[in-house]
Order: sequence, then structure tokens, then C-alpha cells
Amino acid sequence: MSFPGDDDRRKRGQFTRRSLLLGGAQATGFLLVGWRLFDLQVAESDRYAPLADENRISLQVLAPKRGRILDGYGRVLADNQETFRVTITPSLARNVGGVLRRVSRIVPLSDDEIARIVARTRKQGRHVATTIATDLTFEQVAKLNLYAPSLPGIKTEFAWRRRYHDGAALSHVVGFVGSVERFGIDDDAVVRSPDLRIGKSGAELGFDADLRGTGGTQKSEVDAHGRIVRHLETVDPVAGADVALTIDAELQRRVVDRMESARRSAAVVLDVTTGNIITMASVPGFDPAAIAGGISVADWEKLSASEDNPLLNRAVAGLYAPGSTFLVVTALAALGEGVVSLEERIVCNGKYQYGGQVYSCSNPAGHGPITLHDAIRSSCEVFFCEMSARLGIRRIADAARALGFGATSDIGLTEEKPGVVPDPDWKRGNLNAGWLGGETLLTGIGQGYLQVTPLQLASLAARIASGRDVAPVLRKPTASESVTAAFRKLSFDAGYLEAVRQAMVAAVNDASASAEKARLGEGKPLVAGKTGLSDIGAGAAERAGDAVEWAKRGHALFIGYEPADAPRYAIAAVIEHGGNSEAAAILARDILALIDDRDARAPGRSGADGGDKLPAGGLLHEAG
Amino acid sequence: MQTIYSAWNTGQPLAIGEKLRRVYWPVILIVCVLAAVGAATLYSVSGGSFQPWAERHTLRFLIMLAVVVAMSTVRLEVWIKLAYPVYGIALLMLMLVPFVGVEALGAKRWIGAGAISFQPSELMKLALVAALARYYFRLSQDQVRRLRYVLPPLAMICVPVLLTLQQPDLGSAALFIALGLALMFLAGVPLRYFAFGAIAAVVALPAIWSGLHGYQKRRIEVFLNPGTDPLGAGYHITQSKIAFGAGGLAGKGFMHGTQSQLDFVPEKHTDFIASIIGEEWGFTGMMLLVAIYAALILMMMLMARRCENRFARLAIAGSAMTFFVYVFINLAMVTGLVPVVGIPLPLVSYGGTSMTTLMIGLGVAMSAYVHGRDGRR
Repeated sequence: MSFPGDDDRRKRGQFTRRSLLLGGAQATGFLLVGWRLFDLQVAESDRYAPLADENRISLQVLAPKRGRILDGYGRVLADNQETFRVTITPSLARNVGGVLRRVSRIVPLSDDEIARIVARTRKQGRHVATTIATDLTFEQVAKLNLYAPSLPGIKTEFAWRRRYHDGAALSHVVGFVGSVERFGIDDDAVVRSPDLRIGKSGAELGFDADLRGTGGTQKSEVDAHGRIVRHLETVDPVAGADVALTIDAELQRRVVDRMESARRSAAVVLDVTTGNIITMASVPGFDPAAIAGGISVADWEKLSASEDNPLLNRAVAGLYAPGSTFLVVTALAALGEGVVSLEERIVCNGKYQYGGQVYSCSNPAGHGPITLHDAIRSSCEVFFCEMSARLGIRRIADAARALGFGATSDIGLTEEKPGVVPDPDWKRGNLNAGWLGGETLLTGIGQGYLQVTPLQLASLAARIASGRDVAPVLRKPTASESVTAAFRKLSFDAGYLEAVRQAMVAAVNDASASAEKARLGEGKPLVAGKTGLSDIGAGAAERAGDAVEWAKRGHALFIGYEPADAPRYAIAAVIEHGGNSEAAAILARDILALIDDRDARAPGRSGADGGDKLPAGGLLHEAG
Repeated sequence: MQTIYSAWNTGQPLAIGEKLRRVYWPVILIVCVLAAVGAATLYSVSGGSFQPWAERHTLRFLIMLAVVVAMSTVRLEVWIKLAYPVYGIALLMLMLVPFVGVEALGAKRWIGAGAISFQPSELMKLALVAALARYYFRLSQDQVRRLRYVLPPLAMICVPVLLTLQQPDLGSAALFIALGLALMFLAGVPLRYFAFGAIAAVVALPAIWSGLHGYQKRRIEVFLNPGTDPLGAGYHITQSKIAFGAGGLAGKGFMHGTQSQLDFVPEKHTDFIASIIGEEWGFTGMMLLVAIYAALILMMMLMARRCENRFARLAIAGSAMTFFVYVFINLAMVTGLVPVVGIPLPLVSYGGTSMTTLMIGLGVAMSAYVHGRDGRR
């Protein structure tokens, strides 16, 4: 085989030419890369440099410490407790499930919970700590730290937990906190902190803005896995402000103890002068600590689906037909509008006929010829059917609204409901039906569409007692605010108010009066009041008492104030399915006795902020 | 006895000292500089520590450097003899991969078990160069120009390309094509065939596209529009570009690149090591690095030109071309010019496989240079 030299030489010359061409192509390739690098590193460097900073700097929100909730005497209702929680960091644990099973020997965890935690760690970054359990006992923390070498990735951390001191008694007033479930982009940045708890009900929700405080921030340099490399800058969070309520927690506890005998009930006591809510009780209650501490789904469903609805604050969100307690409203309307005089007698024969319908009186035998005073005292529905017919629905509704019905009183609880004061417009708007004459009579005697809350009833009692436009107050005013002017006088004539007050005194204190059970007894202050029974549509049977099935009995109501001659406290009590209005009168009497007992033991403390109130006696004279 | 290399077996045997003197030392020096750049960058990437990468990288390089020097003393005939058998073995192994391969990251590229595992495609990178050089070694200038002599090398390129494509390993396939075509070009295959080939490729593009794996298509799609998926498949490119941009003209300084120190650039110690150099040493540093590679390739092409032996010429050019393709694809990839295909930066990226391949290729090239200039053994 031969290899001619010239062929070789030709080949070599060609190789040189072609390698030059190839070299040119390679140079072009490198120039392309060089141009690209110039573009990235010189021309557009300004665009990329901040992106690198954005990458490495993480802004973490630090949750502020939540403000406390206090009662009218500075007793702590809700504060924060130091607790420990345990977290796991998957990148350190390697086998998350195995470590969790070992942890479960110290901190009980069900297989379900372990599975849920493992799922959660998968969703997050490998270097992000996931909370396993909160509220560890000191013993558990000690054990976890002891066994730390065999529990890789496990860390115990310090945390704040919301603590509630009064359990169920104040559960509805104080409310509870929970984690933030969703947030909008314009929300305070602090809600993004996983440690933050926000108010979910009661004062915790209503005054959340003040309690929450201001979040701090921590700038840290982080790596791509979210691991903190070093801290750059810290702005400390500002703790939330304390919120003081007007409630007397001690009194409320005793009131709730008394109320526990009724399955569902609510009571509100107001300071007539200041409008301060001294007691606002709703039964049954719940344990706010259990909910705030992280309630299981099953327990939560049990609680919220319970027939007795323990989560409902009946005092502000329980809606009831006011029954005969509403007669005082109709009376004031009738007197004010001049459709009746104090002397006029109307004959009650136990029945009132209107448009083919028959309305029966509380006394089936009839009260005979009766004045307004006696009609209130004896709770004569026939009299007030006649008044309603004379007034017409609009004038009744106007009087009801003037006395606080049909609107919330803005005490700060978001749960508060306005109730319903029906009139033709309301019926057209809500039921799309025309107003019937008979419905005017039903409204006038506190039945039908009329719906009120115990808080509104207590306000009504306070307004009648003082003759002023008393508005309930739940949040204790600060020292500077409390010197504000007294409430405006009501538009009703003082003489008519006095007449209604006297009728309410008679309703409790006259022989065989309708609310005689509300008397406090010999040597005690006189109580003024009015009972009511809310029809729930079960017909006449509901008045028969115990014989009727519980769920078909009407709600028992009572409004009142004491002392009758110089009102200091206004009260409203509601017992659901109480059957007999006496039950509510008895409850109100017991609550008033507890207040008298409280005042007797600590005379200086007559109200939540007893110091700067008007002399109670003067008020009546002013009003009368 | 007349053998295929007998024409080159005429000269006097070279003494070991003579051979070492013939080694082109400037290339060895440049290779050492590149390995040092790699070690320094790996030291920086691990936050100022020789562990876990810099030390092993240096050690690996020194071992391979010794192998290169040792290989340069091996007679050229050995490589010529080995060329076809090694190509055959490499092809066989590539075919075996789908059956006995180990799956990693969704692709079967490795065979072997435990510590002794390697990628047949790496062996093929060497074998393809050797086999093509061996093929053209025997052809006359006229034969090279004829179509029937163009088809066998095409087949030698296409079979491994198809085998690696279905692993799937887009990077190696691209490298085989570039390497093979470059060698055919240097061997003197007429330009008209390349023109036909280019037209055919454009026509075949849709068919190739439909044959790609989903993740490969996705990579190409993301490459064409990285904004669509900044945290998914586009994350690599986005973070790498941020690193380059953050480096600017002068760089953030050695060990001061946040993108790498904080782990934002994935594969920062292997395929994406260039973005770390770009962040810490800036545009200036990158230009210097490209210049070093350009010098290496230029020197090797000069080495090739000086050789009389056609096998030696093509083997050296093939080795130089391997370096070029690695550098170009890697830099184009980390700057977002081409899709992410998993090609490391030669001798700088951490990883034994590519370093072994490149250094053995360099060893063959050096041996060819030592023995290929004249007939001496």
C-alpha cells in the first residue's frame, strides 16, 4: 500500500485551510458568548443586581404580643401565657415519620396526626420548621431536650398562648382567638406571621385592632432553601394595647352560676346612668381556651352543630319576640300620640276581635274596664290590641325605634344583631307581601315579626328608668372620655314616662301583680318591671306550663330596673322555652339580689366606674 | 510484516526522555491553569472550604495529569489499533444501557454498580474521535470526496446519536454531531455534502421535535420563553442570569457572590459553575476565562497542523473540538443562549466523568503530537 506524498501534502494544505475556517466558526461562537456576557454583565447589570438582593434578603414579620382584656375592676380576663411548642425541620430529621413516632412517646400524637404533619412538611421547604405540637408541659420539654440526640430535627420553641381566666362564664363577651385563615393583599403585613392569632369572636374580635399591636420585621439573609444565614436588621414589634371592659367579672360568674339551671338563657344588666354593661351573660357557654388552643375538627363540629348553640351570644345575637315587655313601648306611643288618656278605661272581656280574628288576653275571663296603668300591671293584651289599632303600625314602629329597637347599639361586638321592627315597608322588602291589619295588633303586643335582643330589652328598661337615651357601653371609657355629657332626654313626655314607670312598679309590687316574683323582699329596694312571654306559634297550649313539651313552650322574658325610686340598674332576662314568664322574673330577681349583695359588701363599687356618676336619686327628679 | 501503520513505523524508537521533551508543555500549563480556576471556584462555592469539592477536584486533576503525561509516551500505533475495537465496545455498551442501565433523574445514562459506574456516552466521545480519525487515516484525498466514503462515517456518528437521544441525553447527542461533523469537515469532505445535510436537517426538524421527550421539549420551550416558568424549569436559567448580571463588570469579588454562597444557583459546582465565576469575577473574569479556553484550542489546532500523520491530526483536532463544544455549549447554556443540556465546563466543573474523558482525549492528542510529526515511535 502506498501513500503518495503529494496527496498527503494536499491533505495537509486542505487541513490548514479547513482548520482556519473551523477556527473562524469557533471564534464566532466565542464572540457570541462574549457578546451575551457583555449584555448580561455590563449592559443590563443594573436590572439583575437588585434581583440578586431580592433573592437573598427575606423579610420576616414578627408577631406582636397581644393586649390583655380586663374587666371593669382591672381583673384580667384574657392574657398571654408562655408556652413551649415543638417543631421539626425535615432536612435535619431525614426520616420525618420515624422521628415523629419517637416523639409521640413523649408528646402523644395519633397516627393520623403524624400523617398530617408529614404531609405538611412535604408541602413546605425542607429547611422550614413545622410545628408538631403546642402547649407542651415543662416535663415534656425537659424530656424532649433530654432525648434530643435521638430526635434529629426536633426543636422546642418558646411561644405565647392566649389564656382565658373565666372559662364559659365570660366566653361570649371575651370571645376567642384563632389563626389567620386568609388575608388580602392590602391587609396589615403582620397577618402573614404564622404566630399571629387574631380575634374570632366577642371582644377579641370587636377590639382586635387595638389588641393586636403592630408587627415587627426582621430582615435576614437567606439561602435558596430559606435557611437564615444571618440577621440584617430587626424592628421590634409593638405589643397590643390592653382593653378594659365594663363587665364585673366576679358578678358575671355568679350570675352565670345562677343561670345554669336554665338550659338556654341570657341576661343583661346595665348601669342606668352610664350605660355600662355590668353583666352580659349567655347560657350555655363554651371554653374559649379549648378553641383558641387549637380545637379538633370533631370537637368544633360538635360545638357548632349543638342544638343549644353554645357559640351564640344570646345577649346580643339571640332574637326573641318581646311579648308583653313590649307593652310599655306601645303604651308610650299611645300616650305620646294622644290616642288614649291616662284615665280612659277600655273594657276587656278576655277577647279582642279584629278582622275575623280573635286575640285572647292573658286573663281569659277578662279584666273588665281597665286603665293603661292597670293594663300594664296586669299585662292586659286586649287593652293594647285596642291601642295598636288606634295607633297604626307606623307610629308603633317609630316609638320602638326611638327606644332602641331595630338597630345595633355598637358596643363593639360584631355578633350584635339589630333585630326587626316590622312595618309595611319592611314586610314588602323582606317578605314581598302587603301589611295586614292583624299584624299591627300582633306587633303592638310584642309578637309577630317583632324581634329584639336581650341587650335591646335592657336598654329599653334603662331608657324608661332614666328618661334618657341610654346607650349600652361594653368597652370601659378611658379617664378622658368618661367626662362626656349625659345621654340626651327621650322625646317622650316626662309625665307619660313617669306613668309607665309607676305601672312597672305596680306590676312587680302590687298584690297579685303579673311580675310579683321579681320582688327582692322585705327591707330591700323596690324593683320595677314587666314580664313577657314570647309566642312561638304553639297556640294556647304554651301557657299551660310544665305539661307542654319543652321545645313548644314560649320564651320567658323580663325587663326591669331597681331601685324603683332611684334607678341604678336596668335588667333584661330571657329564658328560652321558659314556658311561664314568672321564670324570667325569678331569674331577674336573683340577679338583682346578687348585685345588691355585691354593693352591700363593697359600697364604693356601685358601678363599673362608680366614682364619677350622677347621684342616682337626682336622675329620677330630672326625668320626672 | 506490512500493517496499517507500517508506514509510520520506520523511524528510530524514541527514548522516554525524548518523548517527554516532545510533549507540548504550554498546553499542559494551560490545562493546569484551568484546573486551578476550577479548584478556586469550588473552594469559594463551598464557603471557603476545600471540602467537599476543591480538594477532590485537585486530586482528580493531578491523577489525570499524570495519566496524560504517561499516555503521551504511548506509541501512536496503539491508538490506531484500539480505535475501532473501542468504538465497538462503546457502541455495545450504549446499546446495553436501556437494559442494564441505572436510572437517575429520569434518564438512564449510567451502567455498572456501586462505585464503579460510568456513562458509555463518555467513552463514545473518545471512541468517536478515534474511530473517525482511524477511518480517514486510510483514505486518499479522492476517496474522501466520494459519496460512498461519506456514508460510513455518517453512520458512525448517527448510531450513537440516536442511542443517546433515547436515553435521553440531549447534550451528548449534540456533542457527537458537532464533533463528528467537525472531523469530517477537517478530513476534507466536500462542502456540498454539508450544504445538503443542513437542508435535510431543517426538513427533519419537525420529526426530531416530535421524537423528543416531554422534559426535553419543556426545556426548549422554557428556553425560548423563560418567563413562563421562572420557578420551575426556567429557574436554573433565571438564577444563573441573575448571578451573571449581579457580577457586573468587575464582579463581587472572590467568595462574595451571594447567588452561589446562598445556594440560589442550582448545580453551582457542576454545570453552572461559570455563573459563579461570572458573579465573583465579573465580565472581566469571564473574558479572561474564554481567552484561556481559546488559547488552549488554538494551541491544540497548531499541534494538529504540525503533524504529518493524518490520524494524529484528526485525533488532536478532535480533542480540541471536544473542548470547544463543551465550553461553547456550557457558556451558551448558563447565559441562556441554548437550552439546559447538562454539559459541564471543561476542567473547571466538579465531576470525574467529564474530566476523565477530556484528559484521556488530551492524552491521546499529546501522544499523537509526540509521535505523529515524523515516523519515530
